Amino acid sequence: MNRLLNKTLLYYTFFATIILLLSAPFFYWMMEKLYTDDVDEAIVLRKKEFETNNQQTLHITDIAVWNKFNRDIRILPDTVVSKPKDSIIQQTIFDALTPEWEPYRVLYTNVKIEGRPYVLMIQLNLVESEDLIKTIIWIYLAILFALLLVIFFITRFISNRLWQPFYDTLQRIEQFNIEQHTSPEFSNTQIKEFEQLNAGLEKLIKGNLQSYASQKSFTQNAAHELQTPLAIFQSKLDLLLQDTSLTQAQATIVQSLYEATSRLTRINKNLLLLAKIENNQFSETTTFTINELINDVTPYFAEQANGKQLFIEKNTKSIVSINANRGLAEIMINNLFLNGIRHNVENGKIILLLKDNSFTIANSGAVQSLDETILFKRFGKGSADSRSNGLGLAIVKEICDRYGWQVSYKFENGFHYFSVSF
Amino acid sequence: MKILIIEDEKELADSIAAYLKGESYGCEFAATFKEAIARTAIYEYDCILLDLMLPDGDGLKILESLKKDNKQDGVIIISAKDAIEDKITGLKLGADDYLPKPFHLSELSARIYSVIRRKQFGNANRIQVNELQVDLLAKMVSVNNHPVPLTKKEFDLLLFLLGNKNRTISKAALAEHLSGDMADMLDNYDFVYAHIKNLKKKLAEAGCNDYIKTAYGMGYKWEA
Repeated sequence: MNRLLNKTLLYYTFFATIILLLSAPFFYWMMEKLYTDDVDEAIVLRKKEFETNNQQTLHITDIAVWNKFNRDIRILPDTVVSKPKDSIIQQTIFDALTPEWEPYRVLYTNVKIEGRPYVLMIQLNLVESEDLIKTIIWIYLAILFALLLVIFFITRFISNRLWQPFYDTLQRIEQFNIEQHTSPEFSNTQIKEFEQLNAGLEKLIKGNLQSYASQKSFTQNAAHELQTPLAIFQSKLDLLLQDTSLTQAQATIVQSLYEATSRLTRINKNLLLLAKIENNQFSETTTFTINELINDVTPYFAEQANGKQLFIEKNTKSIVSINANRGLAEIMINNLFLNGIRHNVENGKIILLLKDNSFTIANSGAVQSLDETILFKRFGKGSADSRSNGLGLAIVKEICDRYGWQVSYKFENGFHYFSVSF
Repeated sequence: MKILIIEDEKELADSIAAYLKGESYGCEFAATFKEAIARTAIYEYDCILLDLMLPDGDGLKILESLKKDNKQDGVIIISAKDAIEDKITGLKLGADDYLPKPFHLSELSARIYSVIRRKQFGNANRIQVNELQVDLLAKMVSVNNHPVPLTKKEFDLLLFLLGNKNRTISKAALAEHLSGDMADMLDNYDFVYAHIKNLKKKLAEAGCNDYIKTAYGMGYKWEA
């Protein structure tokens, strides 16, 4: 991912180079034309100069001397007919001094010296195009460098100044957490687009917060309101059980009703628990070790594990101490432990591991990996086991999120590993 | 024994009364805050079941007024709120117990039994059922004066059964009672059977009659 600043710079560099490159031939052509015109003008001037200053006083006998001392203005015999007259032409002439082939502008014109016809040749050296191109390239490189330097500083300046409100907004949105119930405060800006952006975001966040809050309170209210009818239902079942005229078949029905009520009650209590965690009703924290918690609950779970003849292996020599709400930590450990028992197989195994400030519980069970994407979601049941209500791991996740702990899952060598790093 | 049920849900109050009648408790009702204040001011009860959310007032206020008048009635709060703060406040104000809704009637009955015993018998708190004697304070059980060593769970189980004499207790209620705070995540009641079996065995070995009966394979009953 590129930063906005880098991307802008990249575009500027690219287009500046393209424009300069495209302009180079034109620049070359202009330079050359300008120079040629100038040289041509000089030739015409020299011709005029010759006509006014020299032509009258020059004798035929002087021609040899003249030619000897003048390299660029020479008087040739009128036998030179192959050249066009009175127009300046371009010729490449070998320069013995350099020694190189050099471009020249040359004028041939007919003159009369002491009445006899001669051809006057005026030639002026042009800059070699190679040299011109070299110079232009150097100039262009210098310009490009200077331009890019300027662009770089301007863009940085703009990015820091102009885009500052944008980066500010960006940072606030990144820090925004819907569970903290506070809408981010965007700073004021004089730029219309950013103001629009902030206003739009504020509206969006407000709407989100509202629907989040109403969804939460709905869950909580629903769970609360269900408690009383559930209590009535359960009490009626308890009464029904006292009826001595119940037949065995009826008793079986009552038994199923009991099981359903238990599940309903459990789901409801878990939903209420989630709501309470979200509402920060477990704010009191103390420092304790995970080791204590495990030792406290192991006897109870060992009893549960007996039903499936599970073997519990404890690897809890290292001490892991945390600061959190003890009740929540207990719930987390319990849920993970129970999960390991519930989804285990007969004669399976459960491994508890405390190491490097993390708690891991591994259990044998289904032979394929669970779907990690739904594992920690509410009602994201990985199994068809009717006794699981799909909230246990959601609660674990909620508790971990509350304290910034990392909970992870992996499947290895037939074992399901759930780890919490504190 | 007189019990006052302060509860605005008539169906629930009726169920509680019907269940408790079996244990020769006489129940009276108060469905509103005013009614409750009026009744508690005039009469004395062995135990008051107090719902905190009444249509016309906060149940905790009733508790406060009881304590202000120095009444000795036992109080068990039954609440749908199940908030730790409510529980702490309630117990601080002098409630004897706190039971979140929904609850099993057998659980309620056992708690009422325990509150009343504590209130009435104080330190010399012993239950005698024919040849069986339970010392609640020392948590000791003996049959014909021979001590029977019970685990904590078995002792709890025995008390729970005694608190629901002649009434069938569902396996779910027993399981939840035995697992305490862990009850919410319970899904296997098999361990109840194991505990019942052990308890029966120990009592039988000590020469106690078999009072624990199985009902339809879905619950247990103390018949004496």
